[in-house]
Amino acid sequence: METIREEIEKIEKSAEKLKALGENNPSLRRNAEILLNFVYVLKFIAPDLKNLP
Amino acid sequence: MNYWNPYLETMAQEELKRIELSYFRNIFSHAKAHSALYREKLRDIHPNDLRTLEDIKKIPLTEKEEMRKYQEMEPFPYGGLLAGDISDVTTFRQTSGTTGKPIYVPETYESWQWRIEAWCHILYMAGFRPRHRIFLPFGYNVYVAFWEAHYASEKLGCEVIPGGALDTKGRIHKIMEIRANGMMNTPTYGLHIAEEAKKMGIDPGTLGIERMLCAGEPMPSATRTRLEELYHCHVFDHIGGTEPCAWAGMCEAKDGLHIIEPFFLVEILDRETLQKEVAEGEIGVAVVTPLGRRSFPLVRFNTKDLVVKGKTSCSCGRTTQKIREVVGRTDDLRKVRGVLFSPKTVEEVIRKEFQEVEEFEIIVERRGLMDVISLRAEVQPQLPVGLIEGTKARLAESLKIATNLSFNVIIEPPGSLPRYTLKAKRFKDLREG
Repeated sequence: METIREEIEKIEKSAEKLKALGENNPSLRRNAEILLNFVYVLKFIAPDLKNLP
Repeated sequence: MNYWNPYLETMAQEELKRIELSYFRNIFSHAKAHSALYREKLRDIHPNDLRTLEDIKKIPLTEKEEMRKYQEMEPFPYGGLLAGDISDVTTFRQTSGTTGKPIYVPETYESWQWRIEAWCHILYMAGFRPRHRIFLPFGYNVYVAFWEAHYASEKLGCEVIPGGALDTKGRIHKIMEIRANGMMNTPTYGLHIAEEAKKMGIDPGTLGIERMLCAGEPMPSATRTRLEELYHCHVFDHIGGTEPCAWAGMCEAKDGLHIIEPFFLVEILDRETLQKEVAEGEIGVAVVTPLGRRSFPLVRFNTKDLVVKGKTSCSCGRTTQKIREVVGRTDDLRKVRGVLFSPKTVEEVIRKEFQEVEEFEIIVERRGLMDVISLRAEVQPQLPVGLIEGTKARLAESLKIATNLSFNVIIEPPGSLPRYTLKAKRFKDLREG
């Protein structure tokens, strides 16, 4: 699960960056936001048991 | 692969509960910070007070009536139920309004995708796979159920055929025309399609439906069996609602419903006190917290669904908590002549023992000081007149045994009772109001 979490975080960072780069491009920005919505779902379905409180 | 998410679906219960507690605290904090309803309701409870799942029992339940009150606030139309910026809302849904003013449900792109992911569990458990071409025989309108089914089917990789704007005959033709092999419908409408197909000279078993997923009404096992016999297919059940989402579904073992953990924290509470968790095999009220939906958070929502608590093991290998049976709604349970009565019992008897009964309606009324309970039953038109009286007598006898109540059985002419496509309303309590 650790590797999976790492990959999800990579996507998250990349999507955040795309969103910032798309500041003046609604299409790029919205698609990056949508990626982040899926990142939220991915994190939810792949919880990292080691880091649970 | 037997599981949509093997990691979650075969995880030890203790681990699932750890995740659920963590998710619960997150959604609790989010709700408290962003929704007017919960800012007020949870004012005196801090997330740090919630150290175990037992601690959450201190939190008052969320009732639909108070949601209606908060919905009247700004921003229109969601009011204090919305947790976030209204400009992030991408989809409007609403409840049917059966019990009062409808609840308007705001979904953001994120919350909708979360909801659809939960729904994929239900479809996958019921054996739906990308090879299925699923016919949805409804116009979806503002109601959530078939939109969820549609989007989840797509996500899973199935092919979806929206079957709205057609009458029942048109739908039967469309099923045959495009060779649909999956269908999702209310049990009532599944029976109605079969009845119509027969009238058209078509055996519903030849329609080619391999799998059917039912929703919208409690489905007695006898009704499920009847649908399986009619369509020669596998029929599955699930439970949910517009506000809490679909939260449990049936696997191929067809032995109860699996709660979709850890998407939902489901407590099954004693129906008198709504406090203590019931033991396995006992009936309780399902209280549901969707653990990842942020646009419209619900903390300990009283679904008013009555269910029998099941095991945490299953021959399918899933480790999620099961419910053995959906009994009905607390709203549907009535005292008739001092006897606690559930309309589902009548349906169970009819579908199991009376193939000749096509439609029915239960009416309770007060005559003088007495409650009178009647069953209006419609039998197949081809039933010989000489057998009608026998059916009537057997119905009265079987219902007396199953419910401990004496029914006044009335046989109605074919086609005289209403047919339903969505939620059937076969129970009328005329003592009210």
